[in-house]
Order: sequence, then C-alpha cells, then structure tokens
Amino acid sequence: MGNLKEKVDKKQKKKSKKPNNSDFSEKDVMIKKEDERNKATRPAEKKKRKREKGSSIDGGDAIQIIREDDVTKAEGEKKRNKLRKKKKEGRSKIMFCAYIGKSKKSKKKKKEHETSKEDEIILEKRGETNQDEAYCISSGDEDCSKGMKKWLTDYHQSRPGLKVLQQRLDEFIVSHEEKLEQERKEREAQAAEGGWTVVKHHKGRKKTTDSESGITVGSVAPAAVENQMTKKKPKEVGLEFYRFQKREAQRSEIMALRSKFEEDRKRIQQLRAARKFRPY
Amino acid sequence: MDSDTLTEPMELKVLELIKEVQIDHSPSFTKLVNDSVSSIQNSINKIPNNLTVTGEEVAGFVRDVGADKVDFKFKKPKSIEIGGSYSLKCVVKPDINVDLFIQLPKECFHEKDYLNHRYHAKRFIYLSIIKKFLNLDSSFEKVEWSTLQNEARKPVLLVCPADKLAEVPGFVVRIIPTAKSLFNVAKLDLKRNNVRALNQDGTPLPTPRYNSSILEDMCSEYNTEFLKKTFLGWKALGEALVLLKVWARQRNSVHSHDCLNGYLIAIILSYLVAHEKVNNSMRPLQIFRVTLDFIANSKLWSRGLFLQKQGEDRMLYKESFPVVICDSTTHINLTFRIKGSGFSELQDEAALTLKCLEKSGDGAFEDIFMTKIDFPAKYDYCVRLNLKGNSEFYSSGYCLDEECWRSHEQKVQSLLSQGLSDRARSVRVIWRNIPSGCSFENGLSTLDVEPLLVGISLSSLDKAFRVVDIGADAENKEEAAKFRKFWGKRQSFGDLRMVKLLKAQVRLYVLWESEQWRKHLILKRIVEYILLRHLAISKTSIEQTVDQLDFSLVHGVEDPMSFSASLLGAFDVLSKRLRLIEDIPLKVSSVQPLDPAFRCTSVFPPEPHPLASEKGNVPRLHKLPSSCIQPLEVMIQLEGSGNWPMDDVAIEKTKSAFLLKIGESLENSWGMTCTATEDDVDVFLSGYAFRLKILHERGLSLVKREIGSDQGKRVSSVDQKLFVCSQHSSMINGLQGIFPIYGPVVRLAKRWVASHMFSACLSEEAIELLVAHLFVKPLPFTAPCSRITGFLRFLRLLAEYDWIFSPLIVDLNSDFNPSDKKEIHDKFMLTRKGYEENSQNISSAMFLATSYDKASEAWTRLSPNLLELKRLVAYACSSANLLTRLVLRDQTDSYRWECLFRTPLNNYNAVILLHGDRLPYPQRLLFPSKLNHGRLVAHGNASKAFQPFMLPRDLRGSLDELKNKLLVDFDPLRCYIADLEKECNILKSWYDSLGGDAIGLTWERSCSKKRDRDEAGEEEDPIDVLKAVGEAGKGFVKSVHFLKAPRLMN
Repeated sequence: MGNLKEKVDKKQKKKSKKPNNSDFSEKDVMIKKEDERNKATRPAEKKKRKREKGSSIDGGDAIQIIREDDVTKAEGEKKRNKLRKKKKEGRSKIMFCAYIGKSKKSKKKKKEHETSKEDEIILEKRGETNQDEAYCISSGDEDCSKGMKKWLTDYHQSRPGLKVLQQRLDEFIVSHEEKLEQERKEREAQAAEGGWTVVKHHKGRKKTTDSESGITVGSVAPAAVENQMTKKKPKEVGLEFYRFQKREAQRSEIMALRSKFEEDRKRIQQLRAARKFRPY
Repeated sequence: MDSDTLTEPMELKVLELIKEVQIDHSPSFTKLVNDSVSSIQNSINKIPNNLTVTGEEVAGFVRDVGADKVDFKFKKPKSIEIGGSYSLKCVVKPDINVDLFIQLPKECFHEKDYLNHRYHAKRFIYLSIIKKFLNLDSSFEKVEWSTLQNEARKPVLLVCPADKLAEVPGFVVRIIPTAKSLFNVAKLDLKRNNVRALNQDGTPLPTPRYNSSILEDMCSEYNTEFLKKTFLGWKALGEALVLLKVWARQRNSVHSHDCLNGYLIAIILSYLVAHEKVNNSMRPLQIFRVTLDFIANSKLWSRGLFLQKQGEDRMLYKESFPVVICDSTTHINLTFRIKGSGFSELQDEAALTLKCLEKSGDGAFEDIFMTKIDFPAKYDYCVRLNLKGNSEFYSSGYCLDEECWRSHEQKVQSLLSQGLSDRARSVRVIWRNIPSGCSFENGLSTLDVEPLLVGISLSSLDKAFRVVDIGADAENKEEAAKFRKFWGKRQSFGDLRMVKLLKAQVRLYVLWESEQWRKHLILKRIVEYILLRHLAISKTSIEQTVDQLDFSLVHGVEDPMSFSASLLGAFDVLSKRLRLIEDIPLKVSSVQPLDPAFRCTSVFPPEPHPLASEKGNVPRLHKLPSSCIQPLEVMIQLEGSGNWPMDDVAIEKTKSAFLLKIGESLENSWGMTCTATEDDVDVFLSGYAFRLKILHERGLSLVKREIGSDQGKRVSSVDQKLFVCSQHSSMINGLQGIFPIYGPVVRLAKRWVASHMFSACLSEEAIELLVAHLFVKPLPFTAPCSRITGFLRFLRLLAEYDWIFSPLIVDLNSDFNPSDKKEIHDKFMLTRKGYEENSQNISSAMFLATSYDKASEAWTRLSPNLLELKRLVAYACSSANLLTRLVLRDQTDSYRWECLFRTPLNNYNAVILLHGDRLPYPQRLLFPSKLNHGRLVAHGNASKAFQPFMLPRDLRGSLDELKNKLLVDFDPLRCYIADLEKECNILKSWYDSLGGDAIGLTWERSCSKKRDRDEAGEEEDPIDVLKAVGEAGKGFVKSVHFLKAPRLMN
C-alpha cells in the first residue's frame, strides 16, 4: 500500500512540473473554485501550498474539507491521475481501456480487501461505457412518466377546478362518516351480542364531546383553561413552611451547584482539548 | 480552597486562557533570551570606538525628518538591559518579543541636539550602525526595522535569533535606544518650540508632541523600573495585565498607536495600585473588571492622572493633550499619542465589555476574550483611502510637531465627523502606515503604501438614511459662510422652513435624493463627496464597502423589495375581504401573514404579476410575464365551534372544504380568481397569489396533550406547524420593526446559504433566527447597522459558535427568566446525551431555542445533521475570512466579491447541471455553472413543454384562460428533488432553492454500507444510478457529471 502511494506521489510530482490546469492532487483536497483566472497554475499552486501550511489563512474561495478515509483518498487520487492522463492525451477511449488494464495490474499488489468494487464495476461495464460514454437523455416531451412533462401533468391534474374538488371532498366526508357509523354499529353490535355493556375505567379527563353524536358536552376552550391555570395561585404555604423542607431545598441546591460545577469542569476539559482557549 | 473559589466557570476559563497565552519562563527560554542578548552585545562590542559617522548612508531619513548637523563619533552604548513585558514576566503570545534598552552615550550628542530632529536623526544613525554589525553576525537570522508605536521618526530594530525554540515561535528581540539624561528636561517643556520649522508668521508654536517623543526615550528606563517594582512578586496583577492585553488585542480599534498598548495598560494598572483601587486580595478577573470600570467610568480622566500625588501644572497638560497620565518626576505625559477619538473608542469598548460581564452569562468569556473585534465586524461602514503617491498630505514636511500621517488621520477624522454629523455615532480613522520590514534609509516617502482605514458606526438608521442635512440659518452670515464653504456647490439655499422652531427660518440644507431601497447608499455619497471636495484624491482611491453585495439581491437593476408596500396593501385588502365573508358557516376571526415576504425577509419578494389581478381585460405588457407565480401563505382562524370532527384526516378535509367555500365566495363577490388543489387554496389579488391556511386550535391542544404523555413519540400535526409559523412570523415581524436593517441582512444570509447549496440543510426560519440573534444579543458589539457588517457577523456566528456543546438561545422578546434558561439547558442536554458514546448520535446538531420552541424542534431538529453542519461551518469560515480580507485589504473588483456566492462544484460525488432557461425564475440565477472536470455521464435536451416566460403567442385569449396558464407554485427543481428522494435514497442532494442551476450529489455513507452487506451481489453501479438520476429529470437536466467515486468501503 505504502509502496503504491509513493508511486502515485512520484507520478504527481512529475506531473506538477508541467503547467497543466487540471493538475492538482486530491490529497491536499484543497478545492479551487472553477475559476478561469487560475489559468496560471504555478503561482496558484504555490499559493495553495502556502495555504496548506497555515490553514488559518486559507483562501476564501477554497474550502478545505478533511477526509478521514485514507484508503479512498489514495484511490481517488489514482483515478484522478489516470483520468487526467486520459484527458490530456485526448485519446479517451483507448486510454480508458489502458487505465483499466493497468489498474488491474496494480491492484494485484494491494491487499485483497482493497480491490475496489467500484473498479470492478467499471471493468464490468467497460464495454458499455466505451460505446456511449455520455448517455443521452431525451427531452422527454413525448413521455409523461418522467421529468418535466410529468411534473407539468401532475400540476395540471392536481388542479381540476373548485367544483371537482368540492365534490371529492363531499364524497370523502360522506364515506368517512359512513365508516365511522359502521364502526359504531359494530361496536354496538358487539356489546349487544351478549346482552352486556362493557364498562371500562375511563382514564384521564372527561371527553368534551359525546363520541356518538358529536355534541359538545362540557367543552372548555383551551384559552380559558390556560387563563385559569395562570390565575391559580401557586401554593404559598408548604414550600418553606417546615424546617426540613428548607434544609432539603438547601441541600438539593448545593447538589445542583456541585453537579453544575462538575459539568463545567468536564466541559472545560473538552474545550481545552479542542484548543478553544487560544485567542489568536 | 480551590473548589470554593473556582465555582464560577468564567474563572476556570480565564485560568485556562492565561495558561495558554503566558510564556513559561523555562530554563531553555531564559537561556535563549540570554544568549541572544549576549550575542547582540558581542556584535555591538565589535564596533570600533570613535568611528566617525556622517549619516550619508542614511541621508534620506536625515533629510526627511529635517535634521542638520548629525555627525558624531560612535561610542559604545552606556548600558544594555532587558526591559518591557519580559522583565515583568507578562509576555503574551503570539507576540513574543523581548525589549532590549540600549542607552545612548552622552558623548555622541550635543547639548542642543533636542532641536530640529537632530536627536531623532542621530538615534537612527546609531541604530543603523548597530544593524550593519548585527547583519555580519551569523547568529541572527535577520535584522529588520520596525518603529515604536508606529512613529516613523523613532525606528527600532527587530532581531530574529537564528536559534529557534519550539515553545516560543516567532521570538524576536527589539532593540530600543534610550536617552537617559541626555538633555535638560526643562528645555523640553510643553510650551517650548523645538522644531523651528513650525511657526506661524514668524512666531514659533509649541511642540508638545515632539518634546514628548524625546522625553519618552529619556524616561523609559525609569518607568520600567517603576513597573517592575509594582508587578514583580504580585502574580494576580501580572495575570490581570495578561488578561487586559488579550482583551485589547482582540480589539483592533483600541490596540493601536493612537490608543492603547501593553505598556500603557501596565501604567494604568500601576496607577490603580498606587491609588489603592487594586489590592492584594483581588483575583485577576476582579482586577480586570476594576480596571475596565476605571477606564470606562472614572471622572479622573477629565482632570488627568498623576502617578505621584502632586501636580502643579495639571491644566497645562490637559490643554495640550486629550488624555493625560503624567509622571511628575519626568515631566512627560505617557499618553501623549492618544487622540480624543481613540480614547472615546476605548471608553466605549470598556463599557461594552462591562456590559458583557454583566449580561452575557456563560458566553461572557467568549465575548470578551475570544471574539475578534476588528474593523469589518465592528463598524457599519468601512472606507479605505489609498494615499499611495499622494503628495498633498506631506507638503509641509514629514515631521513637525506631529508626523504628517498622524495629522492626516486627524484631518480625515474631523472632516468625516463634521460631514456625517449625527448620522455617525463614531468615526475612527487609523493609518497603520508602516509596513513590516520597510527600510528607512532612503527616507520616509515610501510609508504611504498601506491604506488608511476609516470605520464608521451609525447612530440610528433613521438619522443615517435621512435625505436632508439642515445647515446654518441663512441670516447668520458667519455660520452660513462656513456651511457653504464646507459643502460647496452641493448645498442649496432653500426656503426650508423649520416648523419645529415655530418661526419661519430660512435654512441652508443639503439634499440627497434617493429611492427607498437605495437609502443605504446616501452615506456612501456623502463620504465620497466630502473627501473629494476637501482632499486632493481621486475617486478611485476611495474604497467603501457598502453595496458590493447588492448584486445578489436585485432583479436586473431594481431591488424587488421596492414592491413590499404594494404587497402589504394587497394583504390588507385581502384580510378585509376575508373578514367580510358572510356565506360560510363560521366567520373568519383573524388573518395573519406567514410568508417571509411580509416581514421583509424574503430574498425575492414577489413582484405583482400582470395576469393575477382582478381586472377584466388583458393588460398591455412591456416585458414578458413570468409563467410562474409564488404564492404567499396567509393564516386564517375561524370562529370557535364544537362541530369539528375529531380525527386528523377529517379535520384537514373539513379545512379544505372551508377554504374552497371561502375561495368561491371571494370569486363571487369580488371577482377574484381562486385555484386549488386538494391541499392548497390560492387566490389572486392585485398581482399576488395568496395561499390560505386555516389554523384549528383544537388540533393544537390535541398535540399538546400528546407531548404531555409521551415525549419521545412526537406527532407534529399541520396545526402545530402552522402555530409555530405564526408565532415565528409575528415575532420576527416585531424585530424587523425595531431593526430595519434586519431584513437586508437576512436576505443576504439566505442568499448565501442557498447559493452554497445548503437549501435542504438550513431552513429559512432557522436563518432568520440566527440573524435575529445578532440583533437581540449583539454583545460584544452593538447591533449592526449595515448589511455587510450584519452579514459578516452572521458568517462568523455560524463559523465560530460552539454548536456541539452550547445551545443558541434566541431571546426574541428578551423575556427569558432563569427557569426558562434552565429548561432550555435541560432539553439541550437531552439531545446531547448520546454524544459521548457516539459523536454521530446527535439530534438538533444546531440547537436553536426560542420562546415558542424551547426544545429546538421546529426548525433544526433533523437538519442540519452533524455532517451537514460541519460542512456549513467550513464554508462559513472561509467566506468570513474572504469577506474580512475584502473589506480590509484586497483590491475590490467585483469578481472577488462575487466569489462569496460562487460555490465550488467539486466537493460532491456527482453534479447535475440543469437547463438554466427552464428554471421558473431564470433571472435569479447568479452565475451559470460550468464544469470542466469529472466525467460526463449523461446529457439531455431541454423540454419544450415549459417556458419560464409567457411568449407573445401564449398571451392570446381571454384573461381567464391566461390565468389558467399561470402556474402557481410550480417549481421543477422541487419536483425533481422530490422524485430523486423517492427513487434513490442512497443519494443526498445539495441544491439552491432560490434559483441555482446545479445540484450536488453525495452518496450517503450509512446507506451504502448497508447495501454492501445486504445485497453484496447486486451492487449498483454509480454510473447506472446517475443515468437513472438523469432520466428522472428529463427535459430539465442538462448534464450529469461523475466527479469522484463514492466511498463504498467501510
């Protein structure tokens, strides 16, 4: 693996001597904006190196993203290398084949698990990709199943007009009510079967509406409830009435303070690890 | 004892900070210092005594300071000793320098050398000989010129030793000449003239600054001794000094030649010690607070501070200098460089910091010590003057009493203060004119390469955007003449009658006509006009940061914001009509706007569409109308009723039924057009489309009950969302009323987030809250008053906030009490519970708590996730750096500014480019994307079915037919993204919902991993996936590019 990396590096060094715009290694994942002004590569590259050194002064138009995955890095690099070559020499298809052949060779040196699936896939698809490297999508004006045409059709279908919508809604409500009705009947039938009525313990607050008729029984507007709640005085007696309560309150306060202190300490250790105390 | 005294987290943090910045006086460091000093000594010893020097080699300097008779014979310095912060053990990283005082020998000077800069010239010649010999020595890496407090006539030498020590990077020795008892102190009295060139019609004027400049060298050793006596052996005082230094360094406008420096801080501290305001029992943070309080609030400043308790000539000093800290034994005002404006800036900063200590709570430490308060972030407007090659400002010589750069600073300062009058709260002018590593040998003419920097803080927007400057009473001849002289042709003599004054007075005034949305440019025009009128500079050398980012917000040449008045008018009409509706079972009880366009925070508020009005005939059109129209959400509440169904689905259907009825009614009684889908009902009114929503309170209470019973399983119903939206909308609306600049800042922020393809990660409301935070809790700044400053602070907030470990509490109405905060904190801790085991396991990676949403569930619960947030932070960081550089240094061509909104396309696995002319609003596309790397996987043609503009041939027919052609809320990009998410869930898409023509794709790691395991045999080829992706966007996708292989392995 290390061997291979070295090789790649060497190759890159060789490349970087030539002024070639697309020539930047992916290892230093400094990503330039596509920027016509960067045509003069040499100064740009120099700049890049500088930036790399002091990441605090990294360029505004370049964004550094740190990748954790070394393995893929090497691979991406390699691939990029090859692709670049391919582009440069302008014989894309032939070179592409050559690339695959080569990569196969070099892969053998690698450990097994590193044989990239992706490359295998490309190998599989080689024939196809070579034939039509850039697949052509039709404009889709005839076909309503996908793309722009579909979205437009969907749009128009979703707006059938107020009348139709109204009708659909009515239908829904009628069927919904029927369903509810049926459910109710079933329930009643079940209950009536043995001549018994099942009495259940009713948890929680009383329902405000009668479940059968929908009539409001003892409805309370939420606003009113809230109002009431705020008006209710907090219990004044009780909290600090007995001595033991005071003692307990003090104790728990101290406990809370102590736990907060511990928390802060932990937090500061984390911050220290993250170098958050350096004001420059 | 420790656990008792250190309960405050602030104290703990301060301790850590001191540890971080203070230098350990370890044996190796001491040795390095001693070695460097002794090798400097050796080099100086090699200089032959009685070497005759004439100053020819440095003739440029001698000429420019205006000295004559500078020949002398070189003698060795009388003494060499270490002074400065090193001797106090208070060196603060990252500026690690050791001051080395070399005492100039009396034999080299004549008695009268204090006259006419002879001392300065000789001092420089002496140093340049030393420099020559130091250069011969290989134990120094380099020897450079620098200056004492930016004073060009007093250069010092910076010596970099060749030996390096890892723990003290960038260590230098500063060689500072001193002039102990060279001259008679009485001759350097404030009232005396010692520069003969400075006179007024033959009468010499006093030269207090020149005299102080010499006196300073004469007493520097004495004062160092004095400081040593105070500081050595008092650890807490030294630590307080370190804290104050860190504090000052973070404040660029305060830590400068005409304001504060480390030495002066030490002097102020020792004053406080001498006057028993600081005592032995205080901790560093307490001393810090006392000192700031003294700086900000003490009345003593107006009388002058005297280190010894006496002072017969107090008023004398006060007349010559705005700030006086005087040492009666040496007769020098140590603060002779401080200017009035600098000092008031210092007092402001100190007062703000005290406020931070009081109000910021847990964040105080970060606000005070860790936040960089530089010009771009602090001031609302920054102006750069490039005075390179401008000969006007030194026409009367480089150095008289003051140096020409300082007097020019003064001039610009007073011009702008006068011109801006009460528009500006403060105007700060700083010219750090001495570039590092410059050479003085050839004279001082090259010291103008650095730009002069002006920072302007506005008082209030009302004042700043005022269109008229009322001047003098026209009858008062003297005043009027002055006013005319200042404003020149610009002033108009008008009959501007002052109603307020009750008597009809004719006043002079200056008028700055401006359209509403261009009012922020008034200030720019004033500054430019004044500077051009009174200084001999060209227009191109004035660089102001005001409107450079406006390009991202305008349509063509006009800001769509200018339609907001007509939009609000239309909304009023709509709300009236809604309330008047009689033919529905329940009356409309309230109407509330929800869309950001109503609160001026929409990047592109809609323009009135010619086809969406009620008028019966087809209007004549000047330009092609857009074929899409953005609907604006409006929330309706109905009268209460017990007849609502109980289950969610039925409630929603009932709402739709109501809305349809409302729509029909509006159609019938007002002739408005209504169009609807099963979920949405839109009505057209005066060119706008409004989307109506009903809030049903019962739905709300249902949800609330659910929360009570089961915290984890949270059903967020439509009503809940609507309710939160309405709360948010009304609060933000209130905020916008208080801070008119809030809207533009939010718009820039939203545009930035979208243009870097984060539309899916950060919701608009979250952005509004983030920006709101800058306004409701502006400390350590004051609330921003310009869009660029606000935008920069937004970027820095994103980049620097500690999102993982702290909740961002946006207290919109400033009504949180401690128990609210505790509640928020507890909820925050709940979301971070899993962090320690698994750093990916975090909900609400960006925790935004507000009064209506204390658990951060409304906007940022699911996105951004941790990875997205990291990316966002990285982008914000680099954009903030770029913006800072643009304001301070870089050449301001528009391209560099555009880079803030240009996004790199190579951070994705694949990129889809769209047909720009099939976007619903092509005019919103900032930069057509291009891609010249990666592999082209597929390309496609544009569909003919959709055009963003209605072509003339579409415009035939009646208005009703045309209205049917108008697409409400049709957005191909959104449809496409929805299809993508449906079809291939292994891809994550990054896009710009405001009108970008590119979509970035990344492979979701977790999914692909699972896929690997589950269906190892049936692995999907990324190329095939991408083809399918392209296929799904038929007619919209221009091309699909494959950039880099997804990480398929573990």
